[in-house]
Amino acid sequence: MTPITCEFVLNGRTEQVSVAPNTTLLHMLRESFMLTGVREGCGHGECGSCSIVVDGKLMNSCLILAVEVDGKEIQTIEGLAAPDGTFHPVQQAFVDESGMQCGACTSGMVMSVKTLLEANPDPTREEMKEALAGNFCRCTGWELIFKSVEEAAIAMRQGAAR
Amino acid sequence: MVVFYRRMPEFDYVRPRSLDEALDLVGEAEAGQYRVFAGGTDILEQLKTRKVATPEAVVDLKCIPELGGVEREEDGALRIGATASVAEIAASPGAAGANAALAQGSREIASVQIQNRATIVGNICNAVSSADSAPPLLALDARVVCAGAGGERSIDIADFFEGPGRPALRPGEIVRSIRVPARSANWRSVYLKLAPRGKMDLAWVGVAVAAAIDNGEIKDIRIALGAVAPTPIRALKAEEVLRGQTIEPDLVNHAAETAAGEADPRADSFRASADYRREVIDVLVRRAINQLAA
Amino acid sequence: MSTAPVKKIDNWPNLIGKKLPRVDAPQKVTGDAKYAADCNQPGQYWVKLVRSPYPHARIVGIDASKALKHPGVKGVLTGEDFNDFSWGWMPQTRDERPLAVGKVLYYAEAVAAVCAADEATAELACELVEVEYEELPGVFDPEEAMKDGAPLVHEQRAGNLSWDFHMDYGDAEKGFAKADLVREERFETGRVITGFLEPPAAVAMWDTDGITIWASKQSPYFHYRHLAACFGLPLSKIRVIQPFVGGGFGGTKNDSLAGDFCAVLFAKRLGRPVKFVYSMEEVLTTCRRRHNFIVDTKIGMMKDGTLTAMQQTAIADGGAYTAIGPLTMYLSGVMGTLPYKLPNFKFDAYRIHTNNPIGAAMRGHGSTHTRYAAEILMNMMAEELGLDRLDVRLKNAIEAPHTTVNGITVNSCGLKEGLQTLRNSEAWQNREKTPKGGPIAHGVGISGTSYLGGARQRGHQSCAAVVRLCEDGTINYLTGASDSGQGSDTVLVQIIAEELGLTLDDVSIRRVDTAVTPIDAGSYGSRVTILAGQAAQKAAREIKEQLAEVAAGVWKTTADRILFNDRTVFVDGDPDKSMPFRKLTQIACYDAAGSVIMGKGYSQYDLEEYDFEQGYGNPGVSYSFTSQLAEVDVDLETGIVNTTNFLIAHDSGKPLHPVNVEAQCHGSASQGLGQALYENFKMDQGHTRNPTMVNYMMPLATEHPKMEVVHIETEDPSGPFGAKEASEGAIVSTPPAIVDAIHDATGVWFTSQPITPEMIVTALKEKKSREKKANGKAS
Repeated sequence: MTPITCEFVLNGRTEQVSVAPNTTLLHMLRESFMLTGVREGCGHGECGSCSIVVDGKLMNSCLILAVEVDGKEIQTIEGLAAPDGTFHPVQQAFVDESGMQCGACTSGMVMSVKTLLEANPDPTREEMKEALAGNFCRCTGWELIFKSVEEAAIAMRQGAAR
Repeated sequence: MVVFYRRMPEFDYVRPRSLDEALDLVGEAEAGQYRVFAGGTDILEQLKTRKVATPEAVVDLKCIPELGGVEREEDGALRIGATASVAEIAASPGAAGANAALAQGSREIASVQIQNRATIVGNICNAVSSADSAPPLLALDARVVCAGAGGERSIDIADFFEGPGRPALRPGEIVRSIRVPARSANWRSVYLKLAPRGKMDLAWVGVAVAAAIDNGEIKDIRIALGAVAPTPIRALKAEEVLRGQTIEPDLVNHAAETAAGEADPRADSFRASADYRREVIDVLVRRAINQLAA
Repeated sequence: MSTAPVKKIDNWPNLIGKKLPRVDAPQKVTGDAKYAADCNQPGQYWVKLVRSPYPHARIVGIDASKALKHPGVKGVLTGEDFNDFSWGWMPQTRDERPLAVGKVLYYAEAVAAVCAADEATAELACELVEVEYEELPGVFDPEEAMKDGAPLVHEQRAGNLSWDFHMDYGDAEKGFAKADLVREERFETGRVITGFLEPPAAVAMWDTDGITIWASKQSPYFHYRHLAACFGLPLSKIRVIQPFVGGGFGGTKNDSLAGDFCAVLFAKRLGRPVKFVYSMEEVLTTCRRRHNFIVDTKIGMMKDGTLTAMQQTAIADGGAYTAIGPLTMYLSGVMGTLPYKLPNFKFDAYRIHTNNPIGAAMRGHGSTHTRYAAEILMNMMAEELGLDRLDVRLKNAIEAPHTTVNGITVNSCGLKEGLQTLRNSEAWQNREKTPKGGPIAHGVGISGTSYLGGARQRGHQSCAAVVRLCEDGTINYLTGASDSGQGSDTVLVQIIAEELGLTLDDVSIRRVDTAVTPIDAGSYGSRVTILAGQAAQKAAREIKEQLAEVAAGVWKTTADRILFNDRTVFVDGDPDKSMPFRKLTQIACYDAAGSVIMGKGYSQYDLEEYDFEQGYGNPGVSYSFTSQLAEVDVDLETGIVNTTNFLIAHDSGKPLHPVNVEAQCHGSASQGLGQALYENFKMDQGHTRNPTMVNYMMPLATEHPKMEVVHIETEDPSGPFGAKEASEGAIVSTPPAIVDAIHDATGVWFTSQPITPEMIVTALKEKKSREKKANGKAS
């Protein structure tokens, strides 16, 4: 196998790596960049726990080869808070409303909610369900996740209004 | 023995920059040497679980400009590039109006994450009977444009599915695009999916109906069924029941019943029995036609 | 040392009962939280398992020579490498081995392990291990397995009987004889699994200090005992460190895995850390599942709805090994006398071996199967007698104090209040008003159930807490009680902070580490808040007493007048005499004797007669009561069910952290929803046909109803601040409420789970043709 060099922007920093072609983006992020906040649940696109944002679009990193992100911009959960540590409104809402229990789905869920609210600033519950169908959660029964989404939406609308 | 894989097998990665380069590569290849992909959501899972033979290299089509995009052509047809994502298609104005079934089918595929990555061309090349894009494309008379070393050819989508997992591609061919012909303003379409849950499930029954309706009369109609035969199919006899007729309940029921009879669902599915699927075809075809007639 | 009495102060309690963020929330929303798969040690190797393609076979031989020659491979293990070690839940049930020896008894049972420098190499090398099998006839249905001549899973267990459990209280026959209506039905539950999102993983190390393993365990202490036994080391040299755990729900993560033992043995032999991570498909194919049960249930009822007797015969598919099965059989029967007055109860449970994956514990352990059957049968009989099923429940509901015929003492019971809450709800009041006709039928269903908290076990069951006061007035809290997501860390921190008048941020809880934290029986049976909470409260009080003595010295008063609130210490009735908690700490630690101030606490059971063999006595410390209402919309043409609403009136005694209690109810109900309508492993001769998350079908966001939780407060005397369990009640109450709702919508009683759309369509067709025939006859 011939290693391939790629360059991409990861959480705001330009990175250059040489990587084996059969490495998934998920494993490169977790094992080369130690971004273990990107979780591996099912490993084949059914649970959404590995969700990240690539060029502004939410995707499952387990179903992308690392080499495919050459020239792209990637954001993981680790890149969501501000440099000074201030939480993104979605993160803050999940803390305030206890939108998690075991936390295994939380990284992917927060990224998913962030992209949902950027596209749809005031989603109905039905719209939330449709948008989050790709993020599996076994613990919460979803009520407090929906509550967190509502609170995050309010905070983001207020932030945008300023 | 049984091993549960978390890592990919070994393969190389090639990224052609033009369609010619890609065709040269696969044209000269031995069987199984290369595996072409765009979205990768099906193939990467199949490679990891060793469900398909490991190729020497995977060939990424995403950097070939000719293969991208969703746009209207001069004659009003919708051209869907091989690397256009499901999400792009769902959001495209070209997949609305008469082609609404296409947007609806696209939005039924798995999840937001998958839709942002997967392609409709990939969906049909995977050639699984339950593909959500298939019944809409059948109902919209789509054509598949295949490119090979010798040139291009256009296949009727109805001829594209040779069997489960077997698209009608010749060795060395790549699907370049899908063309959905323009239709007159009196055409409407709808896709209904029966699955036990909102999205992630494969369809147990997929029904797409497209019809040209004037004053309650069906000028022309297409009824396509997914997940109820070895490949997605058209319910031709059911179409005959309705073509040229005035819509009225008994006729619609008869057409729905006929459609159910044209299906040939798997007898040994762990998901749903053949009898149940036939029941549901009846229900969904009836509902689809009634929706279009309203 | 005297006990400083707790005095009520204005605006106390500050924390108990309030909405507070979880202490681990920041780590989870940033991705900082480390789970077992995120743990890495320099130089680590990886281990991967070779598994059997047959559900029942003799292992003829294993040839690892090709694998051993593969570059990067460091070793291969087989069953013989473990020197006849086997483990199990009780000494007489130790039938499971790290790797199969002689025979494999279920599909994909592990037979060999390969260790390599990286995981991909280990996987490739697994393909090179050659195992020769002699396939044996298997048995895959428990009722078939009980018959004469069925293949035996364990040669010495005749009739494939793994365990049985019997109860006989009162006189059931007499009870049936005097009843106006006696009815018997057969009920079945599905093949379901815990469904945690984080697959098990561990990193193991071995050196002269013993074993150190970071492992995804819900209850690390089970595992540490297994390791000590397997490797012949004293417990003091076994260090199981619990990272964050991505869901437990009982079963697998309360036990040990092939991967654990193999990683440790490789670490020992190779002198390197060794890691493994299971794949999700591996979990869904090989890990412990909930038992699936057949429950024959017979109930006697008077025409006014009074229950006279119940008899249940339960057959459970235990799969290939025993695991915690004996406890399952016990728990499926012992709570049969709750939550309704039942003077006569006979129960016979049989756990049967098959060549299927192993049946073990899962949330709502035992009771989910039998309570579900009893609830549905009660409703069927209420219907037959023309009685309102809510009335029937209210009529029979127990009230505290109550002792059941099998010696369960109930000191607090909010069942009646819960049922009244359902009765007064809009959904129940308006249930006749929904428009009929059209393909969608609306249905409203109810249930009233109970579950124990503070589960008892044979042997060790206590909790302890060690609380250390740092010199700056902050607290380190060590407990063996583990949080696998249910939020116990937050509640325990809350209890300590409340006792000492501090904030949550002042108390730092350390994750379980068996070398450091006091031994704990683990997180299961809803024991953490109750037992660990009691221990935490006592430990905090010890610190309070010591500080109160110091304060009394400073202010020349008595310790019983010292109060702690709002990070301040003061003298009751003397506002001039006060100082910050931090200052008092400094005085205590630095002045005079220069103390080290620590507190320890233990949970304590009252000593009483307890009979595990016959199910007499208290299986838990207290009992929660859940009254639930479910609303569904059923598409009568396709059978698709849309669950729209749950109203859960849960008596948890006193909700210490109300949001947490609600969250636990939501999560329990979610898993109950999955069992009722979606989840089921489709088996074919021991093979699981659907071992992926999508095909196994756990409910997603789109399937979830709106859920409202109403807290019923009864303040049980045994719990810290009156608390009872909150994490399992709703998984018992949900399936029967849904079944009842579907009956309301369709007129059909379903007696097996899950209820699939196909079952509904088929049942409605049959109902229609029966009605046609009846009308035909009538005319």
